[in-house]
Amino acid sequence: MNKSASVVIIGGGISGNAIAYELAKRGQKDIVLLEKKFLTAGSTGRCGAGIRMQWGTKLNCIMSKYSVERYEHLNEELDYEHDIEFKQGGYLMCAATSKEMEQFALNVKLQNSLGIPSRMITPQEALEIIPYINTDYMIGGAFCQKDGHLNPFHTTQAFANAAQRLGVCIEKFTTVTGIDVDNGKVIGVQTDKGYIATNVVVDCAGGYSQYIAKMAGIDLPLYSQRHQILVTEPVEPLQGPMFMGFAHNIYCQQSPHGSFIMGRGDDEEPKDGRITSGWTFLEEMAKNCVKLLPLLKDLTVVRQWSGLYNMSPDKQPIYGHAPNVEGFYMASGFSGHGFMFGPVTGVVMAEMILGLSPTVDASQLCFDRFEKGQLFIEPSVV
Amino acid sequence: MIQKDGIATQEMIDSITPSAERRSKGPVAVVECFQSIPCNPCYTSCPRKAMKELIDINDMPQVNTDICNGCGVCISHCPGLAIFVIDETYGDNQCLIKMPYEFTPLPSEGDYVTATDRGGKPVCRGKVVKVVNTPMQDRTPIIHLVVPKEFSMIVRSLNINDIYDDNTYICRCEELTLGELREYIRKGYTTLDEIKRITRAGMGPCQGRTCRQLIMNEIAKLTGVKPQDQLMSTFRPPVKPVKLGFYAQEDTDNE
Ligand SMILES: Cc1cc2nc3c(=O)[nH]c(=O)nc-3n(C[C@H](O)[C@H](O)[C@H](O)COP(=O)(O)OP(=O)(O)OC[C@H]3O[C@@H](n4cnc5c(N)ncnc54)[C@H](O)[C@@H]3O)c2cc1C
Ligand code: SF4
Ligand code: SF4
Repeated sequence: MNKSASVVIIGGGISGNAIAYELAKRGQKDIVLLEKKFLTAGSTGRCGAGIRMQWGTKLNCIMSKYSVERYEHLNEELDYEHDIEFKQGGYLMCAATSKEMEQFALNVKLQNSLGIPSRMITPQEALEIIPYINTDYMIGGAFCQKDGHLNPFHTTQAFANAAQRLGVCIEKFTTVTGIDVDNGKVIGVQTDKGYIATNVVVDCAGGYSQYIAKMAGIDLPLYSQRHQILVTEPVEPLQGPMFMGFAHNIYCQQSPHGSFIMGRGDDEEPKDGRITSGWTFLEEMAKNCVKLLPLLKDLTVVRQWSGLYNMSPDKQPIYGHAPNVEGFYMASGFSGHGFMFGPVTGVVMAEMILGLSPTVDASQLCFDRFEKGQLFIEPSVV
Repeated sequence: MIQKDGIATQEMIDSITPSAERRSKGPVAVVECFQSIPCNPCYTSCPRKAMKELIDINDMPQVNTDICNGCGVCISHCPGLAIFVIDETYGDNQCLIKMPYEFTPLPSEGDYVTATDRGGKPVCRGKVVKVVNTPMQDRTPIIHLVVPKEFSMIVRSLNINDIYDDNTYICRCEELTLGELREYIRKGYTTLDEIKRITRAGMGPCQGRTCRQLIMNEIAKLTGVKPQDQLMSTFRPPVKPVKLGFYAQEDTDNE
């Protein structure tokens, strides 16, 4: 293993790999990415991999639009030998209450002003998009055809392969065990495979980022909560878009491969780092799904699993430099929507680290927002 | 016909097949010697005296399966290569066949080979778990071959080339061939989890019950890391595929 590096990236999920690629693309040499297991072993390999531009704040709309546009051409851009399987089947956001309808109307207006082709829909129009929605439980909704989902394994691998071609060294099965700080500056990273001297560390450890920060003496206001998800046997194409409801607490999509993937949130889920699977989830998920999308009752569940949401105080990511420790950067606290931001995370972080002028100004998401009491409030999060 | 091609008929095989009950108890010798010839090492070699005494040297041998414990001593002593030991208790739906094998090259332990029937026709994939070739065997090595249990009385030889080739489907649910799998392993996807994520093998309806072991064996072959030392992917519920509608039922529906 390398004894020294200009930049050490910790975490082999979508964030770490995208950052590695964007740094290398901008000419950064001697980048090492450390992953304690294999690429996508963390939340990235466990997520629903949905991507939507239907957000309620300007910055999230801009960041997701940037990411969608990059994903549209990512196979070619990264010269990927397989397919990242970006399917733009749309996101159908189902409104259950008039309060939700009002919020959607505001969102759609904002989105349209930024060039995002979303629109409000009636229950009747929803049926034209997904013919088996039980409209008894919806008063309307919003739809954007350009939203969709990807294959998270291939997407991450595509960034990893491209980064490696640009000279990035990816060390799998290497666990970071400590970060050495001297005089307020990062000087090196300890791992179970040896020591790497470096002045720049990027913490992209997903559900473990607060522990990595702790190694450098930094307290991040983050916690990790379990989220569960399940997949069915593949069937013929039935459903174009992702079906999503905040009040109904559901997201449900059909992958290009035919299987349905669905999940829901639950405040009661453990926050101790557990990623086991529970029976209650299966029952609640099934009830919800069969109630809202009755046709799906005959689908066969083949597997359920879970992963961590790395939650920040305002359910928005933290990008950039950590307070007090020079050379410590982070892209963490994604709060359940970090996969879709992969491309923008890569660019924003690479530009922050290299001191370049930003393609997308994400300074509102820097750590100092907590110190200044300027939380970033996004109305449309799960 | 046995006089012409040396292959025993089904009636002959039936006549010497140990009872199902005996087979279910552990290893036992199967003596496939069907012609009256002046020969008796099977009888003289058995340390347990499990072979019925050959009063006339031309008598045909008979094993007392209650006495035989399947030790296999007789296998190498038989000049006709007519004795096998089968063990149907070897493992889950697996059977161990100990067979004499006088061809070269010998297979090695851990090899996957083509298990064949008495006539040399391919039957299934077999795994060589042991090759016994000491002076005791006197140049008639004994191969321990593991095959599915249903082939315990069918497989009687082997061809050292693996029955699987690059076009063989390793994961039928997701249609991954052995050739593709080998290519992925060579590219550096060297754990079951990585293979699963990049190819979907193991994510289909069977959830890896068929392919998991095959993939781990292939990784072992190409990387040298034994299956037992490899990282295992997590087993997730449900154990068997179940319909969403079933879980969605109100409890009252079940009463
Ligand atoms: C069930 C579920 C559904 C989701 N659905 C969506 C969705 O539809 N859309 C969306 O955009 N997002 C979704 N998310 C969120 C998304 O998965 C994450 O925000 C995103 O994957 C985070 O990526 P990451 O690269 O930052 O972290 P991760 O993918 O978690 O990567 C962190 C990596 O760091 C490694 N690591 C940890 N500790 C160490 C150490 N000490 N040394 C070395 N390596 C270490 C881990 O092994 C891991 O591979 C979902 C999450 C879950 C759990
Ligand atoms: S297997 Fe052993 S016990 Fe059985 S007949 Fe042969 S030598 Fe005798
Ligand atoms: S040693 Fe073999 S060939 Fe000779 S009688 Fe016994 S079984 Fe038949």
